[in-house]
Amino acid sequence: MKFKKKSLLILLLPLLAFTVAHKFYLSVTSIEYSEKDKALQITTRIFIDDVDKLLMERYDIKGNLATMEESSQANEYIEKYLNSKFAIEVDGKNVAYNFLGKKYDNDVVIIYLEVPKIDINSVSSVSVQNEVLMDMFEEQKNVVHFRILGEKKSFVLIRENNKGMLNLK
Amino acid sequence: MLKKSISNMSRMKHVFASVLFLFAALAVAQDEVNKEREPGHLNQSKFKQLYEEFATPNTYRSASGAPGPDYYQQQADYKMDIELDDKNAKIYGSETITYTNNSPDDLTFLWVQLDQNVRSKSSKSPLRDGEGVPLAEPVAGFAKKYMTSTFDGGFNIEYVRGANGKALPYTVNQTMMRIDLPEILKSKGQVSFSIKWWYNIPDHTVDRARSGYEYFPKDGNRAYVIAQFFPRMAVYSDIEGWQNHQFWGSGEFALPFGNYEVNITVPADHILDGTGELQNIKEVFSKEMISRYEKAKKSYDKPVIIVSQAEAEEAEKGFSDKKKTWKLKAENVRDFGFATSRKFIYDMQAVKIGNRDVMAISMYPKEGNPLWEEYSTKAVAHTLRSYSDHTFDYPYPKAISVHAKNQGMEYPMICWNYGRPNEDGTYSDRVKYGMISVIIHEVGHNFFPMIVNSDERQWGWMDEGLDTFMQYMAEQEFGVAYPEAIVPNSKYPSGRGEPSKVIPYMSGDQSTIAPIMSNPENVYQLGNNAYAKPATALNILRETLMGRELFDHAFKTYAHRWMFKHPSPEDFFRTMEDASAVDLDWYWRSWFYTTDYVDIGVKGVKKYYVSDKPTKQMRELMAERNIKEEDLPPLVYLAEEDSEDFDANLKGKAPTENSKNLTEFMMDNMSAAERNAVVEPKYFYEVTFDKPGGIPMPLIVEYTYADGSKENITYPPEIWRKNDKEVKRVIASGKELIGIEVDPKAETADIDTTNNSWPMKEVKSDFELFKENIKGK
Repeated sequence: MKFKKKSLLILLLPLLAFTVAHKFYLSVTSIEYSEKDKALQITTRIFIDDVDKLLMERYDIKGNLATMEESSQANEYIEKYLNSKFAIEVDGKNVAYNFLGKKYDNDVVIIYLEVPKIDINSVSSVSVQNEVLMDMFEEQKNVVHFRILGEKKSFVLIRENNKGMLNLK
Repeated sequence: MLKKSISNMSRMKHVFASVLFLFAALAVAQDEVNKEREPGHLNQSKFKQLYEEFATPNTYRSASGAPGPDYYQQQADYKMDIELDDKNAKIYGSETITYTNNSPDDLTFLWVQLDQNVRSKSSKSPLRDGEGVPLAEPVAGFAKKYMTSTFDGGFNIEYVRGANGKALPYTVNQTMMRIDLPEILKSKGQVSFSIKWWYNIPDHTVDRARSGYEYFPKDGNRAYVIAQFFPRMAVYSDIEGWQNHQFWGSGEFALPFGNYEVNITVPADHILDGTGELQNIKEVFSKEMISRYEKAKKSYDKPVIIVSQAEAEEAEKGFSDKKKTWKLKAENVRDFGFATSRKFIYDMQAVKIGNRDVMAISMYPKEGNPLWEEYSTKAVAHTLRSYSDHTFDYPYPKAISVHAKNQGMEYPMICWNYGRPNEDGTYSDRVKYGMISVIIHEVGHNFFPMIVNSDERQWGWMDEGLDTFMQYMAEQEFGVAYPEAIVPNSKYPSGRGEPSKVIPYMSGDQSTIAPIMSNPENVYQLGNNAYAKPATALNILRETLMGRELFDHAFKTYAHRWMFKHPSPEDFFRTMEDASAVDLDWYWRSWFYTTDYVDIGVKGVKKYYVSDKPTKQMRELMAERNIKEEDLPPLVYLAEEDSEDFDANLKGKAPTENSKNLTEFMMDNMSAAERNAVVEPKYFYEVTFDKPGGIPMPLIVEYTYADGSKENITYPPEIWRKNDKEVKRVIASGKELIGIEVDPKAETADIDTTNNSWPMKEVKSDFELFKENIKGK
């Protein structure tokens, strides 16, 4: 397992080195558990222009995200898209999540998702399948960080390997 | 004085001595466990001066950080004839180098750099990294690695000849060529020799080469951005001797200054520009272009189009068989680059720098529009103004920004920049700001390292870090100068420079972080290592540690001292201290020589009241030493609220109400008027700050009192010099203290803020804040 984690990290590193000069295809998702809300709380950071391009090509919508002319349908279609490309399983069973909304940070959109009513103490595994933007860009890489009950695990998901799992027991 | 003592006084003195002894004993008492004697240690202070890390100053480089009386640098002058074969994407050249040996040493051989050999079939660059079979690989990456033939892009050297025309023996070792001289090149002597060469130009969009062409299949044209394309002299200096470290790909260039006369022959329908001033404008510009150029020289507010999009689109169809030679001449530059294509749209404007006019120029294919026409030259002009303000007046006659698909690369007076709109001409903010930022960055490189000519091969941060820092200032100033260009943002969205942006890197996995003072080939994350971290470190120095006035003067002093010279890291570090009187050795040590991070917090607060009664601890000690209360001189005690010494009657009273000793002292030593003027503090706190992080930083504290008032105190970084882990301060106040916050404005890149507040604040996750925010709506 340790070896696997290392090799994935190395895959990602050259990518980070060239943020200065080159366009790269990346999203970063964090999955945490909130004791207070008894919920899995998920944030996904995606480049705004990639989402704009996606909305255009897949749904024929001019998203104009983060501008005054942002499409009123943007949220609806982002949610729809996520439902087809981003899935969470708890103990091997698919669970539904709520799309709470999104906000912008420079050139990135942060999307907030929540899986409510989770009693983490009775959960033995959480897994994620993240194919976001892989239909758009061959080079797309989706990084997922789990941080649940002190357990930390990170994955770099690509088209051929789009699932990651955190074992709690 | 001693002899005059009367008996009363001598008794007092005795008591004082014993009390002092008592306190000393108290301090030691806690440590008096029977343990083995600890070994000694070296000076481990983070505030120790950098004598061991720094080279010893000498007559070449002074201890002040300025060039010394014997400072020297070599000179390499070039005369070159270049020809581009557009059909076959090959480039041919012959050059004569005149090399002047200003060093005190006699040289028997010279080293010449053959950078294109990094792309030769026998290049060792692809072999230098370990690799494993990944779990899975994107198809394109796999195909590129295993399913293509290797491109041979190395230099083909046709001859190396001395001034007399005779062949000179040479040896090629990867990207370096040693030329053995028939006669010793004496100190202060000069030698001339010629090299003829050619190579295959690479497609720079394939492996992100710094130089090459982009092919546009729709019209069949290429746009060339050509650099490190000719055999270039290596640097010989007092620090390295010959800087002949191989070019592996990441560590960029080390080059001596010189004068260039370059004739470049390209297809007659190309538009070309490059380093230096055009010598034969009448032969290469049309009449129309010349009259527009004359207009541009007088246009200070906006660019004048020299070649329009319509004209460029017409030229794209030409494919002329005729040739044209562009003649460029540059003085005191360290390198030469050019760009040429039929596709180029060309615009320029004048910029007033001091009392001189500089031309800000852009070249871009129609694929760059409408973005490039709107912002490129504007960004070039802004960069020249902003950087000149912070360093020295830009000394060259021009600065060109050339559009290249995914390049950001710098040469004297010319650079390539990315930022391409979608095919329908629309573009996102990410593309727009990416483009403006990269233009600022690459044009800015004219200052570092083209003029302040540091050794990029060894120290990537000296140009990238300083330039990224300058870029941050220029971006922020761009937002102020052109507020309409950044709407709806109120400030320019800089990607690097602010302390918060470097936290993910500095708090990351230590096995993938290297100190800034590392060779660029050996770091794990070059972007963070050579760009983001040094830029942030300098920004924190300017805004928080030194203040703008001291910092700006020192930074400018560095730029002036080393303009058109070769500085080393020590020259920078020393000058920043020399011109500011701020001891920065600890800062360079922590930020530049280690991978330490900043984490400072508040650990605990104890509340005390003034009392006349000895505390329990004091009483125990007195009993141990058989001292009676009446033996003691008048003392004031502080009773902690949570201890058994505390008496509720002490609460809410002034110290003079609780301590007769104090009242008496004041009556004896102060006049009534003085006593009335005293505002007695009623609350005493002992605050413990801790520092889990390795970097000592100023302890920036905001104290909040019960009446809502706030007090900001910044304790200098030296507060950590005797205890690097923990430090206490006593706060005496007329008001009750209700809150303490360390680094309230997030100025220090503190990687963990959960320990920054007392009482411990629940630090809400970003997710919680977002949820609350949407509930409120």
